[in-house]
Amino acid sequence: MSSGYGLPLVALARGLLTMLTTLACLLLVTFALSSLSPIDPALRALGDHASAGSYAEMRHRLGLDAPWPQRFARYAGRLLHGDLGVSESTGQPVADDLRHVFPATFELATIAMLVSCALGVALGVLSAWRPGGLLDGVVRIISLAGSSLPAFWLGLVALYVFYARLHWAGGPGRLDDAYEYTLDLDSGFVLLDTWRSGVPGAFANAWAHLALPVLVLAAYAIGQVTRMTRAALLGEAGKEYVTLARAKGAGPGRIILHHLLPNTRGLILTVLALTYASLLEGAVLVETVFAWPGVGRYLTTALFAADTAAILGATLVIGCCFVVINGLTDALVRALDPRLR
Amino acid sequence: MNHPLSFLPLVLGAVVAAAPAEASSPPGVLVIAQALDDLVSLDPAEGFELSSVQTFTNVYQRLVQPDPDHPANLLPTLASRWQAEPGGRALDFELTAGARFASGNPLRPEDVVYSLSRAVKLNRAPVFILNELGWNAGNVDQHLSKLDDRHVRLAWDAPVGPALALSILTAPVASIIDAREVLAHAVGEDAGNAWLRSHSAGSGPFKIRRYMPHEALVLDANATAPGGAPRLQTIVIKNVADAATRRLLVAVGDADIARDLGPDQIAALGRDPQLQTLAFPSAMIDYLMFNTTNPDNAALRNPALWEAARWLIDYDGIAAKLLRGEYLVHQAFLAAGFPGALTATPYHLDAAKARSILAAAGLAPGLHITLDVINQPPYGDIAQSLQASFAQAGITLDVVPELAGELYTKVRARSEQAVWLYWVPDYFDANSTASAFAANREDGTKTVAWRAGWRIPGLSAATAAAATETDPAARALDYLAIQREVQQNSPFVIAFQARNEVVVRKNVRGYREGLDADMVYYDRISK
Repeated sequence: MSSGYGLPLVALARGLLTMLTTLACLLLVTFALSSLSPIDPALRALGDHASAGSYAEMRHRLGLDAPWPQRFARYAGRLLHGDLGVSESTGQPVADDLRHVFPATFELATIAMLVSCALGVALGVLSAWRPGGLLDGVVRIISLAGSSLPAFWLGLVALYVFYARLHWAGGPGRLDDAYEYTLDLDSGFVLLDTWRSGVPGAFANAWAHLALPVLVLAAYAIGQVTRMTRAALLGEAGKEYVTLARAKGAGPGRIILHHLLPNTRGLILTVLALTYASLLEGAVLVETVFAWPGVGRYLTTALFAADTAAILGATLVIGCCFVVINGLTDALVRALDPRLR
Repeated sequence: MNHPLSFLPLVLGAVVAAAPAEASSPPGVLVIAQALDDLVSLDPAEGFELSSVQTFTNVYQRLVQPDPDHPANLLPTLASRWQAEPGGRALDFELTAGARFASGNPLRPEDVVYSLSRAVKLNRAPVFILNELGWNAGNVDQHLSKLDDRHVRLAWDAPVGPALALSILTAPVASIIDAREVLAHAVGEDAGNAWLRSHSAGSGPFKIRRYMPHEALVLDANATAPGGAPRLQTIVIKNVADAATRRLLVAVGDADIARDLGPDQIAALGRDPQLQTLAFPSAMIDYLMFNTTNPDNAALRNPALWEAARWLIDYDGIAAKLLRGEYLVHQAFLAAGFPGALTATPYHLDAAKARSILAAAGLAPGLHITLDVINQPPYGDIAQSLQASFAQAGITLDVVPELAGELYTKVRARSEQAVWLYWVPDYFDANSTASAFAANREDGTKTVAWRAGWRIPGLSAATAAAATETDPAARALDYLAIQREVQQNSPFVIAFQARNEVVVRKNVRGYREGLDADMVYYDRISK
């Protein structure tokens, strides 16, 4: 069966090609959009008082004297050599900045995702148990609140109550100052670094600082996941095999856990994947309120500064996350659903 | 098992087990919560943002520096004495005996020559300050010379008197760096720029221990600083972009100082007995500018509009009620505290007077003017107040809030109609501001007066003459006259002088800020 060996390879190659094309298009569009920005990057870099000579030289140094397609070609050429350029807003190589900010966001978003996945699916199941019942109503209000309360407001209230008043949680930032500037946080993953450091209290302190931003970020995602899980379960509940199961005497618990969940897991998995991807790029407000040095804040600062190299670098990282998460989800859904094989 | 619920006990267990946070900053360490997102570079030849120039004051020294308590007096710093050459176009400096950099390297004339020459040749944002001396990449080396092991001569061609030259040398860009240390870290032709962006090589009271871009800056005491060791061992400046979060940090005690808070937050914290609010007048002035070159609105060129506008700002209402202490009413371009500052405030809100001025000039009611403002506090509030007061004279202001970068791009291209802006002097001397507001040489130099399209050959000459005046009293009189002309007859309506309010914990002593943007001093702080 030659196709049996060839097919996965062809599929893999096709997948990689799609991925690379997607990323290239993403970069091209981002580049074109950032060149339309009404902010003059040279002026941003030099300030308002600079002389005409410095201004002209800065435009040349930033390559702004060339038309944007030519600038993009130059950027793409450097990118192929692994050079993401230097950020005009931090003064550091973009690759170094990203190595620092991405783990912060990845850690936050991943834990928030795990929390919202667990709670969201559970609440969705509870809600679908007896649609229209009291429990369903309560869960729907909770999920609506989670996805409609502004994240910065929820974040500030959480900080005020659990950090400033009750002292239950750590404050803004990733660690207390006693740890933050004495430990070697070289991987960028604060849980991993504090665990490896062996310093007493550091690992627990990292969790104390993660708790609030994780919960605030998860509150939004829980709303999404709950509502989608509920809708998927109820959509499936009207099908004939469910009626048959019910006729054979199966209770709602058995029907949901043994029939509906396995049959909707592809859909739920897709929702979870999309939510995860949005958490990775959409944590700007939570990162701002909690002084979390993540990729969302990095990108926002770069956008306000028309810092093209940083915008493209961060977009590329987020784009890669989307592509990888989507790819993995597709593969997982395929593996779980025999109809798609 | 891939059931999602299996992760729940792990996560919840860890959160519950987490220790509660300590609610106080570590002893011997001062924690400052402020916004650091503006910081691009910690190389004194390059950094020109508030956060970077304030760091330079604490990490580097210049030959001479303003006295923190009386900034009009210059203090010998890395130079113990100086003398102007008879022609008034050169200064000889004697370097302070025994001065050393934080690295342990002694200060040499070569360090002075290298620092200034490097700043000019690197040609980054703040270089225009040194360019005022006529120094450029091609000629700077001819103007800087080592006389002997303790003396250095700095000469210049530009029409600048020795007093102004000394003021220019107090700017952060004229910081003296440890040439040997920097050159040891140079890569290719970068003159150590990549390294200096996040490290220090100075002689100031502190040195940079660690800089995490847009996250935190950690400074350690420099025990051998020529001006004496600072009182605290470590300063941590944390980037907390959200003002409400900064407020929480200082209230809880995890930060000792919170900067850049809004009037509401300051008022709320004022009731906390553990905190005190310090207020420092700043040299920043806020002004309204009409762009007389805008072809779409002829009224902008009419001096009657400028005159009427002076009577259409609710100065006291904005300063006292809207911004509650963040601004003082001030109507001249030199901030109070500068030698020669004009402190008279002849204008107040008088809509009837404004209406009669407009009517006499034939400017009919129903005039529309687009006003660009930065979309950050407090400019939105100020713009709303202007809208209301200008409406009383029949002028409709169409307010366009936008990003600072966008607004500056427009102003530089002279495409706006009117704009509300702020101005911060680049060094402690009247010339820094006068040469912007009262000089339009029409030679390609894009001063503030050029941006407004204000044609002033006579006033430009007076401003140039004041720059070469050697007698301080006569110079102050020159600037008083120049300010009066700008106050009464220009397309600028200068309205306010800013006041920086800082909330500190009660146990923190010795925090000081001066008038100029870079004048933030950490060396005398104790807690």
